[in-house]
Amino acid sequence: MRIILVGYGVVGKGVTTILAQKYAEKVKDYGFNPKIVAIADIDGAVINPRGLSPEKLEAIKQKGYPISADPEFGNPGINALEVIESVEAEVVVEVTPVNIQTAEPAISHITKAFKTGKHVVTTNKGPLALAMPALTELAEYNNVYLRFSGTVGGGTPMLEFAKRCLAGDRIKAIRGIFNGTTNYILTEMSQNQVGFQDALASAQKLGYAEREPSMDIDGFDTACKVVILSNWIMGKKITLKDVDRTGIRDITLQTLTEAAKRGNTIKLIGSIDDNKPTVKPTEIAKTHPLCVSGVLNAVTFSTEYAGEQTLVGRGAGSIETAGAVLRDLLDIKHKLANRMLNSNSESYK
Amino acid sequence: MKLVMKFGGTSVGSGVNIRHVAGLVTKYAKENNKIAVVVSALAGVTNSLIETSFRAQKSDEKYIQTFTKTLLAKHTDAIKEAITSEIIQKEVIEITEKNIAELEKILIGICYIGELTPKSKDYVMSFGERLSAPIVWGAIKDHSTQTQWFTGKDAGIVTDSNFGDADPLMNYTTHLVRERLEPLLERNIIPVVTGFIAANQDGIVTTVGRGGSDYTSTILGVALQADEVWIWTDVDGIMTTDPKIVPTAKMLSQLSYKEATEMAIFGAKAMHPRALGPVSKANVPVRIRNTNNPENSGTLITKEPQADAKEVTKAVAMLKDVAMLNVYGAAMVGAPGSYAKVFDVLGKNGINVMMISAAASEANISMIIKRDLLGRAISNLEIALQEHGGIISEVTAEDDVAVIATIGANMKGALGVASKIFSAVAKKGINIRMIAQGSSELNISFVVKEKDGTAVVQTIHEEFNLGKQ
Repeated sequence: MRIILVGYGVVGKGVTTILAQKYAEKVKDYGFNPKIVAIADIDGAVINPRGLSPEKLEAIKQKGYPISADPEFGNPGINALEVIESVEAEVVVEVTPVNIQTAEPAISHITKAFKTGKHVVTTNKGPLALAMPALTELAEYNNVYLRFSGTVGGGTPMLEFAKRCLAGDRIKAIRGIFNGTTNYILTEMSQNQVGFQDALASAQKLGYAEREPSMDIDGFDTACKVVILSNWIMGKKITLKDVDRTGIRDITLQTLTEAAKRGNTIKLIGSIDDNKPTVKPTEIAKTHPLCVSGVLNAVTFSTEYAGEQTLVGRGAGSIETAGAVLRDLLDIKHKLANRMLNSNSESYK
Repeated sequence: MKLVMKFGGTSVGSGVNIRHVAGLVTKYAKENNKIAVVVSALAGVTNSLIETSFRAQKSDEKYIQTFTKTLLAKHTDAIKEAITSEIIQKEVIEITEKNIAELEKILIGICYIGELTPKSKDYVMSFGERLSAPIVWGAIKDHSTQTQWFTGKDAGIVTDSNFGDADPLMNYTTHLVRERLEPLLERNIIPVVTGFIAANQDGIVTTVGRGGSDYTSTILGVALQADEVWIWTDVDGIMTTDPKIVPTAKMLSQLSYKEATEMAIFGAKAMHPRALGPVSKANVPVRIRNTNNPENSGTLITKEPQADAKEVTKAVAMLKDVAMLNVYGAAMVGAPGSYAKVFDVLGKNGINVMMISAAASEANISMIIKRDLLGRAISNLEIALQEHGGIISEVTAEDDVAVIATIGANMKGALGVASKIFSAVAKKGINIRMIAQGSSELNISFVVKEKDGTAVVQTIHEEFNLGKQ
C-alpha cells in the first residue's frame, strides 16, 4: 500500500516510525506492506515512487527540517496539493496541525485526495469539526474511504468500539472525558489543592498543555470530539457551532472542595444524547467508572441492550495517535481487498 | 497495380520531404499504377494539438493564439517549399488558413467550457491530417498530376463511436469508399486521404487511435481491393534486429502477418498489430518501404511465410522499460481460480500483462508488465490478495530487466531451437530470469537483466547467422 504523508510534526514522525517497523516486519498475518512514497511538509517534500526505505525515513528524521533538503529525494518548494495530485498512491495520511477557524490547509488536502481517487486517514480534528457531514458525503461520492480514529481517544479505539463491537445495539447516549490536558488540571486541583493557574502552569511545564491553552481549557478540543462522535456514531449531521461549550477557566478550588464533600468531583464532560450536544464541567461521583485521573480519557456508551460500557485509555501522544493511523490503514486495506475481489465490473484506476 | 500508399509523419516532415513524396507518387502513377495516398500529420503536430487541447481545457487562451500562429507559420513554410506554382500555393494556403481559423474557434470553445471530451479531443486531433493532406495534394498537383483530397470522413470511412480508438464498420466503409474513390482511380485521379481520422455514422469526427494512419491505409487497401498497401517510412523495412545493437542486421524481404504481429510488439519499426487486422483477413499484402531509398523493395508482409525460407529464426528483438513481477503463494497450488484472481486484480487496476510464465508447481507466477505500472501492481496485489488466508504470500519485483524475443514461423516443429538459444546465452555467463513460449511456436521470449540485453541480442543474432544472406 502506497502512502503519501502530509505533515511532518510529532504525529507525522510517529507515523513514519510505526510504518517503518511494520514495513520491516511485513506483518505477514495482515498482508500489510505499507510504503511511504512521499512526505509533504510546509517547505516541500521528499518523494520516492518506490517507497522510502526505513533507513531513509530514519535519516530524514535525524536530519530534521527542512526535510525537502534530502539530497536523493528532496523536492524543495513543491506544495502538498501538488504532491497529492501528482504522486501515485492509494492513501493520503493527513497529520497537519489543527486549525479550528478555517480547518485549512487540511480540508484542501483531504478534498484534493478525494478528487484524485485517494483514500484519506487523518488525525486532524479541524476539518471534521467544521465540515464532517460534507467530507463524508464527498468521500462516498468519490468512492474512497475517510478514516479518523486518531482524532478521538488517540490510542484508545473509542470509535471502532462503538461502531463494531456495539453493532446492532442502539446507543442512546455518549458521555466522556475526551481531553487529557483539562483532566490533568482538574485532577491536580482536586488532589493537590492548587489553584487553576498553578495547575495550568504545571501542565504546561510537563508538555501536556500548549503555551496558548485555549483549545484545551475552553473546551474546543472536547467539542471537536463530540462533533466527530455525533456524526460517526449517532448519525447526527452537526458541526462545531452546534455544540454548547463551556471550558474550565472558572472552576475554583472552592467548587471542587464542595463537590468532594458530596463524594463527587468535577470533570470536563462531553455529552451526546437526544438533546443538544454539550461540553461543560460536570459534577460526577468519584466512584463512577468515567471518573479517571491524570491525562487519561474515558467514554461511557449507554446502550439499549448492553447497558453502560466504559472504555478507559490514553488519549493523546504521538505514538498512540500514530497507532490509530495504522489501525485505519489496515481497515482500508481490508475494505479495498473485499471490494477488488467481490466486484465484477468496477475499475479502480 | 492498384496501390494504397501511406506516408508517415517524417516522410511529410517538411516541405522538401513533401515535394519528394509527391515526386514518388507521380513516378509510380506514370508507371501505370492506380494510386490512393494516405498521409499522416506533419511530424510533431498531433502531439502539439493534444498538448494545446489540454492547455485549452485549463483555459489558457493566450497559449492558443500563440499556438495557432506557430502552426500556420509551420504549414505555410511547408507549402512554399513543397509547391512551386504560386496559384496552387495560394489555393492551399487559403484552405490552411480556413482550417486553422476553425481550429482556433474550437480551442477557444474548449477554453470557455473548460471541458475536453473524447469527442472534442478527436475533433482537435483531426486537424493534424486535415492540414497535411492539402499540402500533399497541392504538391502532387504541382507535378501536373490529377488529384483530389479527402478527409477520412469524406472518403467514406465509417467507424463506431468509440472516440479516440474507433474501429471501422468495414462493410459499410467498403461500400462508401468504392462509391467515392473507385471512379477517381479509374480516371487516374489520385485521391489523397487524411490518415487517422474518420467519422461515425452520424458524421461526427472520430480517430482510429492505436495504429493511426497505418490503420487507415489498410482499411482503404481492403475497401479498394488493392494489390498491395505500401507503408512509406524512414527505414528500409523490417530488420533482423535493431541495427543500433547489431550493425550487421539485415533487412527481411518477406514476413507473414503473424510474424509481423509478433515483431510489432517489439517496436521493430513495423506496424501496430491492429493495423494488420483488416489486411490479414482480406489477404492484401503490405510492403514497408523507405522514402529515402525507393530502389529498395522493402519488406513484404503476406499471409504465408516465404515458401522457400529455411531460416528457423528470423529476427531477435529486445523490449525495454518493462518490469518482472513475481507472485508467490503456496495457497495457489491446486486451487482453481487462483490465477484468475491475480489477473483480475491487475485488470481492474488498468495493468496490462505482457508475458506470463508459471511453473507446474503452481506456487508462483512471473509476469512482465510496463515498468511505470510496477508500483501500482505490487500495491494492489498486496492489498487484495496478501493476508491471513489470502492466496499469495509474497510479491517481489525486478525492474532492471528486458524481454528478448526470437521470432520466426519456421521455429514451429523445429527441434533444438530453444536449446540453441539458451546454451548460447549461458556461454556468455548470462542468467535467464524467465521464459515463455506460446504453443504457436512463433516466438520464444525470455527475460534477462537489462544491462545484459544488448549482449544477448548480439549473441543470438550471431548464433543463428541472421546477418548472413
